[in-house]
Amino acid sequence: MNDYPIVVENLVKYYEGRCILDGIRLRVPRGCIYGLLGRNGSGKTTIIRILLGLEPPTRGQTIVLGQDSMRLSAQTHGRVGYVAEGHHLIQSYKVRRLIGLCQGLALHWNEEFFGRLMETFRLPLDRKVKELSTGMRAQLNLALAMAIDPELLILDDPTLGLDTIARRQFLELAIDVIQRQGRTILFSSHILGDVERIADRIGVLVAGKLVVDCTLEELKSCIKKLRIIFPEQAPEDLYLTEIVNQQKQGREMVLTVANWSRQKQAILETFHPESCTEVPMTLEDIFVECTRPASAVVPQEMVG
Amino acid sequence: MLTLIAREIRDNIVSVALPCLVSALGITVAVIFAFSRGNGGTFPVTIMFTPILLLAFCSLGASQAYGDRANRISSLLATLGITRNRIFAARVLAGLLIVLICLVPLAVTTIFLLWRFAPPLEFYGRMVAEISLTVLLAAVACYFAGLLVGWTTSKAWLLAGCVLLLLSLASLVVIKGFGPAAMALLALFLGATLWYTWHTFTSASL
Repeated sequence: MNDYPIVVENLVKYYEGRCILDGIRLRVPRGCIYGLLGRNGSGKTTIIRILLGLEPPTRGQTIVLGQDSMRLSAQTHGRVGYVAEGHHLIQSYKVRRLIGLCQGLALHWNEEFFGRLMETFRLPLDRKVKELSTGMRAQLNLALAMAIDPELLILDDPTLGLDTIARRQFLELAIDVIQRQGRTILFSSHILGDVERIADRIGVLVAGKLVVDCTLEELKSCIKKLRIIFPEQAPEDLYLTEIVNQQKQGREMVLTVANWSRQKQAILETFHPESCTEVPMTLEDIFVECTRPASAVVPQEMVG
Repeated sequence: MLTLIAREIRDNIVSVALPCLVSALGITVAVIFAFSRGNGGTFPVTIMFTPILLLAFCSLGASQAYGDRANRISSLLATLGITRNRIFAARVLAGLLIVLICLVPLAVTTIFLLWRFAPPLEFYGRMVAEISLTVLLAAVACYFAGLLVGWTTSKAWLLAGCVLLLLSLASLVVIKGFGPAAMALLALFLGATLWYTWHTFTSASL
């Protein structure tokens, strides 16, 4: 048993001369639900595709369940479930035929669990995959990925196109999977509420770099958003390090800063602010602050 | 492996049926021709069907590779625990199976008709063997050429590639004639295309 089902070492990927991933280092512990976040084009899907051996890396190494992902054996591949962004199922197949094919090729198939999922999703077996709605395709893809009882489940924006009910069903299923001992999930999503609800650990990719890699609690305690009122005009510079974002309007300053500490507090107090209140931040707020183009300061301590 | 081979055949059923139909037509015409005329002039008839068959084999390879690339079939199969080598092996085995299914009955029919109707000349045996082997190698080469150029998303490149490679193969056989020299060159060609296609498939993004 590997303590880290996913290990990424110094991963670099260039595509048509453009750097997509720039020295990514990442370890996903066993039993963890890891939420990979990032804006469109930040490299989330590329990392996932490299992990699955669908895309060769330019440099670096990715290890999945103890094996180099470009040389994954059939047995190891069979322990990894995958739901692709856009759900790349064979469009010309009927649902029944696609299920038959996957069942015939899978090393392990949990018929009972799959049947339960199909009952929940109520998918039409006699329709072609291309005739299904996006939501139905997502459900089918998810059911197929879950049916192999994966030790590691990789989901690339799996709830894309699902309605609220279906999304909730999906999240419940993900939790159900994780409750089976030792299961690990890596998933990327744009719906940060979903990530916040189920993820233990968060990674944030910005322009091909992993700028955040820590637990959700660490992330929330690490980044503080403060509303500071000064007696007069807010100062131009607070001489603080690791400022993620700073907005100033008259006497008021809204400051987002990483790794808030007593030292930083002491520096702030030298400006004699009238009041300093903490603004509660959701994961979405933190994500927006971290990925904002203006936020030049990226807290390196949050990685690793 | 059998599931994968069956999938290859079923997914490309039109491209599989085409060479089989041409082969069946060739056999039928040759038999009718031989029995109605009562002589050994059937050989040119079966040879006449060969270029169409080669074209059909090329389209079979192209259809397999193009269909896979366009529908991202290998991408799905690879995530089901099937290695790229197995996917590739199943594809090639399915293609070779179709080539043999189409060519062997045609060759057997030709040999039978020659034995039945042609004058018992000694050189026929060697000639038929050389022609059959050259045609078999050319058929496999055409199939591999189809696989090679089919791994694209551009229909224009697909068409241009097929035409160019088929013309090169045809001129090779025309210049060298049926025999060991053409066979050696065809064997080299198909070895190189097989290696290149395998390398492209196993290292490409799926």
